[in-house]
Amino acid sequence: MAKILIIDDDPDITESMRIILESCRHLVKTAKNGEEGLKEAAAAGYDLVVLDVMMETMSKGFEVARALKSLPANSKTPILLLTAIKGSTGLDFETEAGDKDWLPVDAYLEKPLKPNELLVKVESLLKKK
Amino acid sequence: MNSSLKSSPSLRKSEPAAPAAAPGLAESLFWLIRLRWFAVAGIFGAALVADRALGLDLPYARVRAIAGALGVYNLALRLYLGRAAAAAGPGLLNRLANAQIPLDLLALTALVHFTGGVENPFSYYFVFHMIIASVLLSRRASYLQAGAALLLFLLMAGMEYSGRWAHYCAASAPQLCARADALRLLGACAAFASTLFIAVYMATSIAQRLRLKEAHLRAANEQLREKDRIKSNYVLRVTHDIKEHLAAIQACLDPVLHGVTGEVPPAQRGLIQRSYDRTGKLMTFVKALLEITRIKLSRKMETGDFSLRKTAENAVSHVAERAAARKIRLTWSVGHGVDRLHGSQIYIEETIAGFLANAVKYTPEGGRVDLTIGDAGASVLVRVTDTGMGIPADELPHIFEEFYRARNARAAERTGTGLGLSIAREVAQRHKGRVWAESREGEGSAFYLALPKPAAA
Repeated sequence: MAKILIIDDDPDITESMRIILESCRHLVKTAKNGEEGLKEAAAAGYDLVVLDVMMETMSKGFEVARALKSLPANSKTPILLLTAIKGSTGLDFETEAGDKDWLPVDAYLEKPLKPNELLVKVESLLKKK
Repeated sequence: MNSSLKSSPSLRKSEPAAPAAAPGLAESLFWLIRLRWFAVAGIFGAALVADRALGLDLPYARVRAIAGALGVYNLALRLYLGRAAAAAGPGLLNRLANAQIPLDLLALTALVHFTGGVENPFSYYFVFHMIIASVLLSRRASYLQAGAALLLFLLMAGMEYSGRWAHYCAASAPQLCARADALRLLGACAAFASTLFIAVYMATSIAQRLRLKEAHLRAANEQLREKDRIKSNYVLRVTHDIKEHLAAIQACLDPVLHGVTGEVPPAQRGLIQRSYDRTGKLMTFVKALLEITRIKLSRKMETGDFSLRKTAENAVSHVAERAAARKIRLTWSVGHGVDRLHGSQIYIEETIAGFLANAVKYTPEGGRVDLTIGDAGASVLVRVTDTGMGIPADELPHIFEEFYRARNARAAERTGTGLGLSIAREVAQRHKGRVWAESREGEGSAFYLALPKPAAA
């Protein structure tokens, strides 16, 4: 069982992820935007943060990722970044943004999510931790 | 559209008769140079006929010298223009255009003088020069050229009449010459003058109208492009919103369908599966629409040098499994010396993968699909052939159009966005390349993508 924070501005996708993660007995907290997510992360430590990159603007997701790592409670918490743009723009975060200082993210998943893919990624990140 | 064009202030202001900025002036000058070669040949030929066949007594050496001079300055102009067109601005081209016609007028006057003077029927060849001037130059310059031609003609007539210049008679008997008859001479000059000016008036009027029409068309084209851009932006926004909702629907159906929320009874499961599949198809369509719209809107593509071999390998890997499942023999090869390419690797890969996916999709079990990439001179040619159902001949010209799907393709496969090949066409155009297809219904198809080789290579 792990404590997971989901930051995503789409309530339906958040709900779906919550149900999937809870089905594996994880403790899930949700936040519907970056500010709310950072407030949650400042208040408590998490084992994993699932972060949607495309909230309002793309740079917003990046900003939140950087801010998360600067929080003492969660400076070591792995971040799983959800993207919906890799395929269509050819932007390959994994190779282009290997630079952790630029974008402190530990893994990527492309939307739309498949429950199994999400669980596999989450488990592997938790194990690494 | 017409009314909006008329009210467009930019059109009202634009002076279409300004050949200084006229596109294609260089081409027109090249055309003039080509025409002049015919003139040179024509003079030599006519002199030969007049001398040998008609037995006219004319100074042929001088006639040939004029033709020779015409050839020499034509060659010089050709060399000069070749360099000027590449380097210089429109000002120089304009000066060249303005200078050529007086040179021609001089040559023609000399020619007319030595081959019969005023009564030479070929003096009406001056009209050609007036028409050429009207097409190439401004109206003012055309009238100036007409004035110059008339002056030269009158000078020749006057000099011959006064006896200061010799008169070369091109009639079968000298007494038939009109030189001494002042009235006939005046008549010839008046007819000549009016012909020149009327010709210039008519030709410049037509040219003016054509230039105006061209400017209108160019403006209309620009407006259409702008409207297309607005439409694409609209499509992008709407499609993006639709995609977000679709993603949420998929995300909600997924855990239910995969039993995360508990066992689903078979009847419900079937319906949910159907909804899920249809959502997936809609998602594919929306993604394709987003993609083509993005390509259309992006002014610049991310480009770089990449390996075509690697790209082909990736593209093949996308379809290898599907091909194997349908027992389709899939082969691929990349020729020597065509590996390096400059462009958008992702889009090229997608285009090749799209060709392959189509080929696999529309080829029956046990068929063949071959990808070959080879050298085609100035370009690299990617070819995907299959032994599939082929494309009906009457539909072949349309398959690269957006949303178009051939009859037999629709009948065989309900799903398909009708956008894959339009994306391919867009990608090819962005690379200054070309896509096309050849096919025979029932026997198979070949899809081609030609991409220009990197200039630096």
